[in-house]
Amino acid sequence: MKTVFVRQERCVGCRHCEVACAIAHSQSKSLIPAILEETKSYPRIFVEAVDNYLKFPNRCRHCDPAPCMQVCPTGSLSREENTGSVLVDYLKCISCGVCAMACPFGIIEFRKVAKPAPDREVNAKCDNCIERLGEGGIPACAYACKTGALEFGEINDLIRVSRSDFTTRMITSRGAETEVPVIPENIRAFQAVMEKLASLS
Amino acid sequence: MTEQDIRIEAERRASDRTDQEIIRKTLDEGVQTVWDRFALQQPQCGFGQLGVCCNNCAMGPCRIDPFGGKTSLGVCGANVDTIVARNLLDDLSVGAAAHSDHGREVVQVLLETAEGHGQGYQIKDVEKLHRLATEYGIQTDGRATNDIAKDLALGILEEYGTIKNRIQLAERAPEQTKEIWRKTGIMPRSIDREIVEAMHRIHMGVDADYVNLLLHAMRTSLSDGWGGSMAATECSDILFGTPTPLTSITNLATLSRDKVNIVLHGHNPLLSQMIVNVAEDPDLKRMAEEKGAKGINLVGMCCTGNELLMRSGIPLAGSFFDQELAIATGAVEAMVVDYQCIYHSIPLTAGCYHTKVITTSTKGKISGTIYKEFKPESARDTAHEIIKLAIENYPNRNPDRVRIPERPMKVMAGFSEETIRKALGGTYKPLIDAIVAGTIRGCVGIVGCNNPRIKQDYGHITLAKELIKRNILVVETGCSAIACGKAGLLVPEAADLAGEGLASVCRLLGIPPVLHMGSCVDCSRILVLAANIAKELGVGIGDLPIGGAAPEWYSQKAISIGTYFVSSGVYTVLGIPPKIFGSTNVLNLLADGVKGITNSAFAVEPDPLKTADLLEAEINRKRKALNI
Repeated sequence: MKTVFVRQERCVGCRHCEVACAIAHSQSKSLIPAILEETKSYPRIFVEAVDNYLKFPNRCRHCDPAPCMQVCPTGSLSREENTGSVLVDYLKCISCGVCAMACPFGIIEFRKVAKPAPDREVNAKCDNCIERLGEGGIPACAYACKTGALEFGEINDLIRVSRSDFTTRMITSRGAETEVPVIPENIRAFQAVMEKLASLS
Repeated sequence: MTEQDIRIEAERRASDRTDQEIIRKTLDEGVQTVWDRFALQQPQCGFGQLGVCCNNCAMGPCRIDPFGGKTSLGVCGANVDTIVARNLLDDLSVGAAAHSDHGREVVQVLLETAEGHGQGYQIKDVEKLHRLATEYGIQTDGRATNDIAKDLALGILEEYGTIKNRIQLAERAPEQTKEIWRKTGIMPRSIDREIVEAMHRIHMGVDADYVNLLLHAMRTSLSDGWGGSMAATECSDILFGTPTPLTSITNLATLSRDKVNIVLHGHNPLLSQMIVNVAEDPDLKRMAEEKGAKGINLVGMCCTGNELLMRSGIPLAGSFFDQELAIATGAVEAMVVDYQCIYHSIPLTAGCYHTKVITTSTKGKISGTIYKEFKPESARDTAHEIIKLAIENYPNRNPDRVRIPERPMKVMAGFSEETIRKALGGTYKPLIDAIVAGTIRGCVGIVGCNNPRIKQDYGHITLAKELIKRNILVVETGCSAIACGKAGLLVPEAADLAGEGLASVCRLLGIPPVLHMGSCVDCSRILVLAANIAKELGVGIGDLPIGGAAPEWYSQKAISIGTYFVSSGVYTVLGIPPKIFGSTNVLNLLADGVKGITNSAFAVEPDPLKTADLLEAEINRKRKALNI
């Protein structure tokens, strides 16, 4: 199973993934024309912040079974079997919002989307960049991430990297040569300052 | 939001009672303020916060992976140290330019006044004019004041582009300090040149050595502190008088219920001081009465407010974060701004009420405001016009939407370097004796702004209180001074909060334990104070038991001030992390390496109590080295 794996501690909150997502879902697929399109594109991934310094890029996990699919009364949600992506048929969506109520991650938003689609707000969640996957690419958010906070790949491979890192660190007390390096000293110092700032008052 | 939520949120945002009251009003009325915009901007980009994003050229923007991934070089090949140091130099140069260009305008008005073109201006401090003229080698004996002023103004203006490779005002530093600058190659050569050279070095393919970049940043900051800022302070004193101690009031309660309220906001006293003078005109008072008002109430804001408070005792409505709150009282007829630290959205805030925002500088226009251009040759007429405009707006005030807090706070201000020296009997010996005896342990300058990352004024007030408790004298400028004014620390009675030694000295002299030394360009007064004490002791500034702090800074100007403090030998603690944490080398140089050059360094510490510990430790280190 391939997925976009989140390494939260590496997210710097730049929101580059959000911009890349909006571009990938625009009609022109290009930054400058995209911001001029009549039906504006928007991100399907959300970089949320707690205390102004703890960040988490939140995105559809394409669950299986997917609670949103299970509750949809019109069958507008379906699974694309090759990639495991949960997709929305905008024309079938009746904007009832039940999928959003069932979503454990709170990532479903209702938006106007470019045609072919009805002229109303529909479930416009992440489609796992199905078009890009079909062209041999990876989801735009993972492609845009420059810090490794979002990585696309076989989930067990990505977990194995974390596991072997943990093992290496635990057994050898090493850090620098592991595949997912430990947070560098200066970044740790910065986070400590931000944590202290957040804790004042 | 429930009433309870609103109260909790207001308490989270600001320390001052009157600020909290009006924040509650903005939340209740749905008027957007700086805190709302800050929340909407979360999360802010980590590349930017770490200083590892470079947007200088069209091959970029580039960013370095702070976790050590593959993107370790920009397209141009710049590494993280280069990018971080270059960004810091860029920010610092913007700050230095802001101070120095403000200074240039004051010197220009001095020149025009001397030539008889300035409308309503005169040389107010002839003694200071003579003193500066002597420094500049200008003949004063038997010459007319205006002739001397003209020569001096030209002399100072020349500093901006001088080819003599030194700034006259920087000669005021003690010999030991200047020797460090010469040895390290950071003696400022002219005011504008350092900024232009900084811009050059930042261009792709020029300076890639972070040490070299940071040394030039130090030189650029010195051209501000000992150049442009000092020129601003000195020439403002010559034109409008050197401040002497006076009392006034501060906080949002300074706004009047039944008078025409005019808020004078920004940094430069040139037009605002003229408005102060013109407001005395009985015709304008009559006009205000005809409109149903009981008179005209001028209040200051930010550093324009500090300038007017220091010299004319004009009440101070508040600091950087109070500009929207003042408008939100619903009682401000006009907000007159010059430049720096003016929210670009201020006309939107004003649009929620009847307030008219009047921009006055050709360098600082904001669409949606009324523009009344400041020109020295028509300054009095412009001031008159602006006051009239405010008066005419008085009938538009909606009494149902007015809320003005009660009880302004008393403040004592006006502590120029000259005044402090005079109060001590013309020499720093009594202060030095008190420091040697340990009655006063040392002195700390707290400066800087407000920043939504920290509760407004919390850092300033907590640090000042903690330092005076430890018998450390505090001098302040800018928004820091306003914060402590609102908190009641700028009155002689605040000596009760000080340690026994400091309290006894304050009571003897009848002064507060926290001294208001002026606006942010007046940080140059702190430099002169330190230089004169050092010279009396026969040491460099870096040897003195003093420190600096900017607990709530936000502005590029604060980077320049912090750096000229450190470059002059003053250990400085920043409460907000500068955008340099992406580079360990830059961090280490500024927090440690620079010690070997100037015997001072930067530290980052958000907690004001821990900041006090750091400053006290530094003071003790310096005291030990001086054998006291």
